[in-house]
Amino acid sequence: MLTRKDFLLGTAAAAGALAAPAVRAQAAVTLDVLHAYPSFARFFTPVAEEFMKANPGIRVSFRQILPNYDELHQALLRGALTNQLPDVAFSGFNRLPELARTLSARNQILALDTLIAGEGASWAAENFSPRMLALGKVDGRQYGMPFNASSPIAYYNPELVARAGGDPDRFPDSWEGVIALGAAIKRAVPQAMGVSYYINSFDSDWLWQALVQQGGGRMLSADGKSVAFGGEAGLAAVRLARRFVTECGMQLIGADQNRQQFATGGTGIIFDSPARLAVITNLVGGRFPLRTAPFPITDKVNGGVPTGGNAAVIMASDPAKRRAAWEYVKFSAGPLAQKIAVEMTGYLPVNLKALAPEFLGRFYEQNPNARSAALQMDRSLPWEDYGANGPRIHRVQQEILTAIMRGDLTPEAGLARMVRETEALMRTA
Amino acid sequence: MAFAAVFLPRAARSASPDRRLALAGAAFAAPAALLLLTILLAPLVVLLLLSLTDYRLGAVAVRWVGLANYAEMFSDPVFRRAIRNTFLYVAFVLPAGVFGALAVAALVHARTRTRSVYEVIYFLPVTSTLVAMATVWQFLLHPTLGPVTPLLASLGFGRLDLLNDPDLALVTLAVIGVWQMLGFNMVLFLAGLSAIPRDLYEAAALDGAAGAIDRFLRVTWPMLGPTTMFVTITTTISAFKVFDTVVVLTRGGPLGATDTLLYVLYLEGFHYFRTGYAAAMTVIVLAFLCALSLLQARLIERRVHYA
Repeated sequence: MLTRKDFLLGTAAAAGALAAPAVRAQAAVTLDVLHAYPSFARFFTPVAEEFMKANPGIRVSFRQILPNYDELHQALLRGALTNQLPDVAFSGFNRLPELARTLSARNQILALDTLIAGEGASWAAENFSPRMLALGKVDGRQYGMPFNASSPIAYYNPELVARAGGDPDRFPDSWEGVIALGAAIKRAVPQAMGVSYYINSFDSDWLWQALVQQGGGRMLSADGKSVAFGGEAGLAAVRLARRFVTECGMQLIGADQNRQQFATGGTGIIFDSPARLAVITNLVGGRFPLRTAPFPITDKVNGGVPTGGNAAVIMASDPAKRRAAWEYVKFSAGPLAQKIAVEMTGYLPVNLKALAPEFLGRFYEQNPNARSAALQMDRSLPWEDYGANGPRIHRVQQEILTAIMRGDLTPEAGLARMVRETEALMRTA
Repeated sequence: MAFAAVFLPRAARSASPDRRLALAGAAFAAPAALLLLTILLAPLVVLLLLSLTDYRLGAVAVRWVGLANYAEMFSDPVFRRAIRNTFLYVAFVLPAGVFGALAVAALVHARTRTRSVYEVIYFLPVTSTLVAMATVWQFLLHPTLGPVTPLLASLGFGRLDLLNDPDLALVTLAVIGVWQMLGFNMVLFLAGLSAIPRDLYEAAALDGAAGAIDRFLRVTWPMLGPTTMFVTITTTISAFKVFDTVVVLTRGGPLGATDTLLYVLYLEGFHYFRTGYAAAMTVIVLAFLCALSLLQARLIERRVHYA
């Protein structure tokens, strides 16, 4: 029979067992790390193992992985309220500004500028391009250290391109060229879509920003306070969006449905994240020899592509943990960790040294489809953030874009409405 | 009694027997009351208070805004659209889900050897996980790859894109909703049918009720009153709470044609982090649900015959 004494002894023993690792951790620092997307464990885990091999005094332990950047963001905000923040978190680029502003107001996030300066004058310049480092900056301070980065690329079906009379080895580098090729595919294979540029159903405004930024436009003014896509570049972008439908036979279907249709050979060209390279390659199977190409850029001087991905943020408050966290963050952005992450996903490396032959050089020779993302590394622009109302603004914009693509609104009227509604939502944020 | 003896203060034990009994009763009820208070009533009060603030998740400062959230909600076109879509959805799913299930149950009930086979077939959708089924639906309804569009085209409907046409998306989700709950409602009706005593049918036959329709209208339908009431209320509530199909299949699109109350609430609370506004929306949804259930219970209660 279980007596009260037994019960007390048992629970005390259990509590002791639970407390034991904490006692040991005082000798070696344990970092509590949080990241999103369960499938990312396949590179987060080996990177952490390599890190622990190089730093025996530090242990990395991962919290329960969250499904996406939004839920990660939400978990961090909750953690800030209950004082249960992890020591290091990998925040989505598009969520970083809001996270940094909220947490710095509560004094719960570490700015990395002095740590970077402490590494020596040339360290930052040798490892990172200024555009890449800028992705982790909020209000002029470096809160995040980029870890994964990606910008949209073209995926195409070389067989359909060839049937339309195009050259599969020379993918167009302008949008006029893409439209012409898409229209030719539609004429050659009437039941197929020539091009599908699914900003009507993509789960963020990333692809829409890409269409504006490649033409030299920006979503927001330099100070981030007013809408800047109402001009020429924005108009060119919405006109392109409508032409995908009218000239290239695009149907307005869901993002997953688009990927399925492309994989079965029913679409000539799609645009998506290079992080989906492995997924799309698997979907295609051996049906056709899938090819990728860099994102076409109309304005060769000011044009660029928005960068998705995540940056490491340090939230530890204890000095010893902060030191250990910086070592881990530095390692993650280093060439070896980047090699591991890039080879498994198709992301582009954030570290310049990672391109060397001993790291990723050979991999790119063997996997030309993965190279497209790396080729546009110097085209990286920030994934622009509208502030607290960002996700809401995306939803409104997506509806208007859908209406433009369906032909319910003219590109001019649609763009004007998009600017108006975006400004209204930015004001109420 | 040992429990009460331990927890009651000494004074109570020496008080009059009546008082002691009352105190003991209160002591026994206390844990349940406490639980109700902490997990139901207290959060409800917090919800009501939150709905009067502009609280955002993670914010340091909170401002009291009175009824501003409610005012904004009723002038918000997205919220109004969500209300309209939700009621349209309920208006479709409720009759189809209840009468469809009744018809299926009546037919299945009449089988003897094949009854369990049909029961399993109709109950399968209830046991399947919708998020997993979503991939199947996406494929089935794919305008170029799936079989549904060509099938409808061969029946003379033209080439329809059921998930991506703003005029059809809500109806498509409603059909999937009926598919999901038909089996569950059928089982409830089957239980109701089995509980009807055979001698009632014999008595009706003696009194001259001839034919299946007569038997159904005179005996089956009145005797199923309590079951029908229960099924109607639960179907209304679950149709009102439509969420999973919207998230996995349409995300409220195209053009907001499938925005529903719970989905918009989820966006506001968990994507836009506007906790105060989402709390106000929750209060409204709660009020709708209570009102609907009470109304139905009162209306139907009057006509239900309890055997």
